[in-house]
Amino acid sequence: MASKFGLAGGIPERRVRPIWDAIDSRQFKNALKHATALLAKFPNSPYALALKALILERMGKADEALSVCLSAKELLYTNDSVLMDDLTLSTLQIVFQRLDHLDLATSCYEYACGKFPSNLELMMGLFNCYVREYSFVKQQQTAIKMYKLVGEERFLLWAVCSIQLQVLCGNGGEKLLLLAEGLLKKHVATHSLHEPEALMVYISILEQQAKYGDALEILSGKLGSLLMIEVDKLRIQGRLLARAGDYVAAANIFQKILELCPDDWDGFLHYLGCLLEDDSNWCNRAVNDTAHPPKSIIDCKISDLADEMFDSRISDASALVQRLQEDSNNNVIRCPFYANIEIERRKHLHGKGDDYKLMEALLQYFDRFGHLASFASDVEVFLDVLTPEKKTEFMEKLKKTSNCLLTVPTKALGQSITLLKVQQLIGNMFKLSVGELEGSAVQMTELYCKNLPLSKDLDPQENMHGEELLSMVCNVLVQLFWRTRNLGYFIEAIMVLEFGLTIRRFVWQYKILLLHLYSHLGALSVAHEWFKSLDVKNILMETVSHHILPQMLVSPLWVDLNNLLQDYLKFMDDHFRESADLTFLAYRHRNYSKVIEFVQFKERLQHSNQYLVARVEAPILKLKQNTDNIEDEEATLESLKYGIHFVELSNEIGSKSLTFNEDLNLRPWWTPSSERNYLLGPFEGVSYCPKENTIKEREANVRRVVERKSLLPRMIYLSIQSASTSLKENLEVNGSISDPKISSELKILLERYAKMLGFSFFDAIDIVSGVSGGLKSLEVFGSDLIDWLNFAVFLNSWNMSSHELVQADGDRSYPKIWHIVDSLLEKYILEKISSTESTILSPTVDLLVLVQLVTEPLAWHGLVIQSCVRSSLPSGKKKKKAGPADLSSLSCLRESVQSLCNITEKVTKWVRNQINRSEDENLESLLSSMQNKGREGPGQVLLIIEALVSSINDTDLGDRISQALKSWSHVDVARKIVTGKCTVFAEFLRNCESKFKMFQSLKQQIAQV
Amino acid sequence: MTTIRRFCCDDLLRFASVNLDHLTETFNMSFYMTYLARWPDYFHVAEGPGNRIMGYIMGKVEGQGESWHGHVTAVTVAPEYRRQQLAKKLMNLLEDISDKIDKAYFVDLFVRASNTPAIKMYEKLGYVIYRRVLRYYSGEEDGLDMRKALSRDVEKKSIIPLKRPVTPDELEYD
Ligand SMILES: CC(C)(COP(=O)(O)OP(=O)(O)OC[C@H]1O[C@@H](n2cnc3c(N)ncnc32)[C@H](O)[C@@H]1OP(=O)(O)O)[C@@H](O)C(=O)NCCC(=O)NCCS
Repeated sequence: MASKFGLAGGIPERRVRPIWDAIDSRQFKNALKHATALLAKFPNSPYALALKALILERMGKADEALSVCLSAKELLYTNDSVLMDDLTLSTLQIVFQRLDHLDLATSCYEYACGKFPSNLELMMGLFNCYVREYSFVKQQQTAIKMYKLVGEERFLLWAVCSIQLQVLCGNGGEKLLLLAEGLLKKHVATHSLHEPEALMVYISILEQQAKYGDALEILSGKLGSLLMIEVDKLRIQGRLLARAGDYVAAANIFQKILELCPDDWDGFLHYLGCLLEDDSNWCNRAVNDTAHPPKSIIDCKISDLADEMFDSRISDASALVQRLQEDSNNNVIRCPFYANIEIERRKHLHGKGDDYKLMEALLQYFDRFGHLASFASDVEVFLDVLTPEKKTEFMEKLKKTSNCLLTVPTKALGQSITLLKVQQLIGNMFKLSVGELEGSAVQMTELYCKNLPLSKDLDPQENMHGEELLSMVCNVLVQLFWRTRNLGYFIEAIMVLEFGLTIRRFVWQYKILLLHLYSHLGALSVAHEWFKSLDVKNILMETVSHHILPQMLVSPLWVDLNNLLQDYLKFMDDHFRESADLTFLAYRHRNYSKVIEFVQFKERLQHSNQYLVARVEAPILKLKQNTDNIEDEEATLESLKYGIHFVELSNEIGSKSLTFNEDLNLRPWWTPSSERNYLLGPFEGVSYCPKENTIKEREANVRRVVERKSLLPRMIYLSIQSASTSLKENLEVNGSISDPKISSELKILLERYAKMLGFSFFDAIDIVSGVSGGLKSLEVFGSDLIDWLNFAVFLNSWNMSSHELVQADGDRSYPKIWHIVDSLLEKYILEKISSTESTILSPTVDLLVLVQLVTEPLAWHGLVIQSCVRSSLPSGKKKKKAGPADLSSLSCLRESVQSLCNITEKVTKWVRNQINRSEDENLESLLSSMQNKGREGPGQVLLIIEALVSSINDTDLGDRISQALKSWSHVDVARKIVTGKCTVFAEFLRNCESKFKMFQSLKQQIAQV
Repeated sequence: MTTIRRFCCDDLLRFASVNLDHLTETFNMSFYMTYLARWPDYFHVAEGPGNRIMGYIMGKVEGQGESWHGHVTAVTVAPEYRRQQLAKKLMNLLEDISDKIDKAYFVDLFVRASNTPAIKMYEKLGYVIYRRVLRYYSGEEDGLDMRKALSRDVEKKSIIPLKRPVTPDELEYD
């Protein structure tokens, strides 16, 4: 911070130091005192002002800070004699940035650079400002100026990166690349290059223009020696050759790579791709958009080679692989063996496959690596090549091979697990009978128990042997539940995993399965507890939250939901704020390739679909939380700028590009994405789990949800307004239309909302009135139920001020809409509570629908009513007299309040009943679901576990495992399920009670009007 | 069956199955990005078939004079790929870069005193406990500072163990 001559910003350093010390130790008051004193001494020092502003900002006094900053800026601009150094400007910059005024910082630097055009330090500051603003063109111009000034390589590369960014992330045309190339060429001719990263940028510029030959020439020239890691250089070389279409040379290079790194799988794929002249590896490399490509596909094109050529190339590949196999003298290099299988697969694709050879290669691989935990996932893609019959045949062969005895017990266990996993993989499970499935669950559990002693001496931090078995047992039990609808299996699945976690509490795989099981059962609070135990933070929130977030969004656990959303949004927003500074760091450290990477990554996160959803859901949650008090709700709406931005978002969503960064690979089989849960539908046999990419489906879903939901804040606001003017105006000017702007805007939104539901405005009205009048079935709303009821609620409040529907059909349909809303709410809500009997036990989504009905449409309607009541109460001097029209609307209002009182009272009672069912009774029904009658049905797995627990052998199992086993109690788990569900009910109950109270008091108020 | 390459930002979106491990810390973004921006050659990822992430190593090079050294900030391998010499490979890579490219004197790392598996591994890879750092991990658990000398430290001076434990504020680098 100190500059030359002991001066800081033109002030003796000893005077400034105490201020910085105070700031660093967060003694802001003290710092401010010093700064004020300093200012008294140096009233015209922009630096002293900047320091004061910095302190004020840290103290949370944003307005004061800004005004001090502005005076400093004013000084800089007007007073020619003041010092304009980077220290002053960068201090100001910090404050401006924190105040969200990047533009002001930039203009300070621009001004300074204009005044001192040859000051490199200031120019770097200016460059940094442009980096923060993502102004790539200005970055480029500034960098070029610096380059001209001092001729340093790094500034040239800053300029080149800025050009690349224009092309990749901005709207710069490809022609710009030619400019960058020219700049580099000229520089290289006179100065050469000195940084490996500079070379990489040079090559990428050429590569982007498809000038592969030029790039290769440079790489093999003197500059090539900048790349110190030989394989890295070879990889680039191979890639360039392949992209240039020189497959033979490229294959030779990849062969070299394989000789250096025989385990390099990617290298082998490239090698084979080049031999077979398949270029799918090379196109679209840069725009590799999906973070999580479906794991079942290795991209490749069917080779165009003539048969003879194909054969000879394949035999080249086999020969190389053979050699690599012979050279690998240890047992960890898998690639050459795995490569054999890939070769067989390619033959298959070329129509020259031989299933038996493929199986042979697989068996060979199994023979060596069958005990490894990754075996099954390694071979998954290859199994897909085989027909179902062949798969079964292969399974038989596999079983036979594994019979040869393995002496190391952990390896033997590994192999047995592999066999079971492969069985699950090839879909055999779906062909088994219920009895056979049960048998296999039992077998796996026994295997687990039998092998526990192997783990006796392991450190608790380490994975135990056979841990995966319990996940597999869970998978089988869930399938049994799906087939039979016998809840006992489902509870048993929970038991198994809880048991596993009792033995070792770190197994995250169990936790993920469990949280989905608990969610499905409606014990969301327990699911959330397990989610928390995964310690999902920072970037994992982007990729892992999907396990819990969708369920939480429709749950009554608002506090937890709010934390989830806020933590996530904070993480993302923090990243967006600091990302540019890190980009600048990459510039400074001359890691140019990272510059591009960082900017692209930020864009990717900015387009995250989950981020968008969270940004819409967080305010909606706030709105839901405040519906019982209209003043609070209005304050919330004000903080949301009355929902205007969200309407814009809804308009734009159709054309926004979205990214999907969630890692879905870790989800359980029965719910491969949050949109899908097979358990909700009937058992469908083998075709259960289509592996196709669900991105399209998810994308459509996100767009739909965001488009609808982001209209809500505005519609709520307008509805409150509309309702509040209606009665009041009525009283004064009989029948007149109140604020026409409000009702016309609301109408536009309603029309859009109807359109999103697939109908014209008037058709939609017909539908809601048809359903409420009993002319249409309750089912017509389908999965859009909540949206339809919202529509009815907002329609009503719109009509209150517009009266259009009265005029439209001549008769008095205005009050009718009140009735429509009342009856719809009543029908759906009461139907839910009468149809949902023993909810403690049943896995159910019904509760969540009920929660939504009460906390969304009903709550919005409650706001409309609060608004009506507030405005109809005599306020101040104006004496009002109700005319005839108002009597009818008043009576509608009264009826509606009464109806809401009734509904909320009934729901409250119902929820209370659910909670009050005695714990014993609930436990009893849970536990009896697993009671084993005879030798079939659920409970068999649990029996094995209980048998193990009751006969613990301390010496076999070691202290730690024995202790853990002793603490196991399946009754505790059952109790946890019951309590978990009750927690969810209790949260909902609180909500219902508060609504009931509110409506009661409204009833009293309205009685006095 | 591993391709080892430089770690890039997109890998952050794919490393969940590695980072859900309770001993693997998920740092904030600026931490990862600072490493990427400053020491990209010390941050490598291992990918298996189907582009699955198997594990990664993250580190840096720093220090003055004879304490110019490579540092392992994190090394981790997904459960299903453990005990296949992957961590060893990643460690060797970092040591190689410290040794040959940056000409460092030694490589060091901190490990939780309770993380026995990792300590065993480091010992197997030739690291020795140089000193104990009291309450290094969030003021609770002790850390072990382990070191391995590189070729430039001919006399292996850098790894002579200290007699007494130190506190975190006595550390030269964090
Ligand atoms: C520690 C860890 C990185 C080891 O990864 P790995 O790929 O399984 O290790 P390697 O296979 O390369 O092991 C090399 C050698 O280290 C030793 N070793 C590794 N893991 C060991 C363990 N759990 N117990 C005893 N020794 C072990 C062995 O001697 C092994 O050689 P061997 O298998 O031929 O006997 C891995 O267990 C892990 O990711 N743990 C969680 C994260 C962590 O703790 N990281 C370290 C702190 S930053």
